[in-house]
Amino acid sequence: MPDLRAEMRKGAESLATAAPPSQARGITSDLSVDEALLLHAAGWEPLDLVCGVAVVSVPVGVWNWGRGAISLASDAHNAAVDQAARALRAECGKVHGHGVVGVRVDVEVRTHHIEVALVGTAVQPADGNDPRGRDAAEAMPFVSDLSARDFTLLLRAGWMPVGLAFGACFVYSPRRTAGTAMKQSTQNIELTNYTEAMYSARESAMEKMQESALEAGGEGVVEVKVTEGPMSFARHAVGFTAWGTAVKLVAEQHQFVQPQMILPLDDAVVTFEAQSLRGAGKKR
Amino acid sequence: MTDLTGSVDPAAPPGPAAGDLPEAAVRRLQSDAFSSGLTVPDFAACLDLGLEPVALVQGFCVMQWGWYGPGSGYMRGMSPYAVASGSGGGYSETYRCPHGFVSAEHRTWGQNLEQPWVEAAWTQGYSSAYARMIEEATDMGAHGVIGVVDRVGTLADTGNTEFHFLGTAVRVDGGPPPAGGVPWSTYLAGQRLTKSIEAGFMPVAVVASLASVRVWAYCMTEYLMEGQMGMGWGGYASSGPQLVDQVSKAHMAARQLARKHVREQLVGDELHGATIDVATRELSAGDEVIDCTLRGNRVRRFKDFDPIPAPRPTVRLG
Repeated sequence: MPDLRAEMRKGAESLATAAPPSQARGITSDLSVDEALLLHAAGWEPLDLVCGVAVVSVPVGVWNWGRGAISLASDAHNAAVDQAARALRAECGKVHGHGVVGVRVDVEVRTHHIEVALVGTAVQPADGNDPRGRDAAEAMPFVSDLSARDFTLLLRAGWMPVGLAFGACFVYSPRRTAGTAMKQSTQNIELTNYTEAMYSARESAMEKMQESALEAGGEGVVEVKVTEGPMSFARHAVGFTAWGTAVKLVAEQHQFVQPQMILPLDDAVVTFEAQSLRGAGKKR
Repeated sequence: MTDLTGSVDPAAPPGPAAGDLPEAAVRRLQSDAFSSGLTVPDFAACLDLGLEPVALVQGFCVMQWGWYGPGSGYMRGMSPYAVASGSGGGYSETYRCPHGFVSAEHRTWGQNLEQPWVEAAWTQGYSSAYARMIEEATDMGAHGVIGVVDRVGTLADTGNTEFHFLGTAVRVDGGPPPAGGVPWSTYLAGQRLTKSIEAGFMPVAVVASLASVRVWAYCMTEYLMEGQMGMGWGGYASSGPQLVDQVSKAHMAARQLARKHVREQLVGDELHGATIDVATRELSAGDEVIDCTLRGNRVRRFKDFDPIPAPRPTVRLG
């Protein structure tokens, strides 16, 4: 354990004299201290904060009443993600990064345009050794929304991220005829048209995500996030998105990390609360 | 609050300089009790690091944004080339209509333009509030300010912008005063600050910048942002989604400019724990203002980076 007070004094002494003018291009990163340390322990280092943004138009009339999938909206969504990822890769390439970690994904779907913004930290191996080869890595940097912690764990297991896998599907909410609705109003009945439409849309979004993972050269997708909900400007249209990080095995085989079991002593405790008199003790 | 330079006389005794701060601040800072905005764990970690809390310090500034509408010289209708040349050499891109004359309302040109006057106003407000916080810390003989919290918002219903900084001034046990007597500062506190020091990164200052880009849409951008594919000819069935080049570039430029402005403040040091926030105000189809704020901790490496041992994966029971 280092002498923290001595380290602090050493740090303070480094500021006691003005720093000489430097032409160095300072590193910028949105990683936390923990993430920076973990990344360094895994032999990688941050280079620069990079971003990619794309705004893609959605043709007029797309959200009008209809049936089935709203394919133009899905296309616009996928195009926006693709363009934003390209811009992010281009920024990463400028600083000779081998990939971007901790990418924050912001998607905004509006009536006539879809905006996708990606922000993350470009990284490279500290010793320049990339399992994919330096040239290949710089030519096609990976894009990953995994945190630096998850990235280092993934590397340790013998896998590498290859890119963001994204899928989106927009559908019109199905409708019954007035007669059918009247007939079914007193019944406990599954609305099969709703079930089928929503089920199919969810599957379609995930299918597109898996397709994009394969296109990027991945073998699978980790940390999949799924969002769904009606459009605020068109409540009759429902959007589903699924995205995660496409990964591929770079080691000969999966490396089992063999985690150690721990029982933390700061675990939740049962405490007395007046309300607990009405039932079992409440955990907090 | 006159001296905003942060410079002090090193020979002056610690304590607030009367007349330079609000009366309540002088009374508070003269009190025997120390104050701190740190949580109890952060407070404990701070003492462990040899940092002695001196006082809760703050800085404040309210700014009114100058008018830059009609008559200000920054309004649409001027020659785009004149505006570009008058913007102080900042980012600008001009877009020309591919159609020729269509009507008087037709947007024959468009422009993405960095707004240095907005950035200057923001920087003035931010820097003034920061300098006042540092002034309080300096007057108390502090070496640094930790756990800095900054807030930029609207003051009540006035429509003016307020900048507020809050932090805990500290002295380094046995440490020398910082260069020029100006305390260092960081958003970090507690164990995160401890880890940063242990890893060999000493905080220098909190840094932030705003980049403001105005988008004046030309006809194609206007049509695309309204969902009409080029002059409104052809139904949507015949033309698919298209990249809105002008707006996409403006968004990229705002983020890149914010990064550039922050990098100018780093002078070779590093920026850790950066956060980027973007606010967009839509004025009409394609016409918008994009404000991007980037802030983080400027840190200086004072020793070689010692890699931590590879962490052991654990599974938490319970």
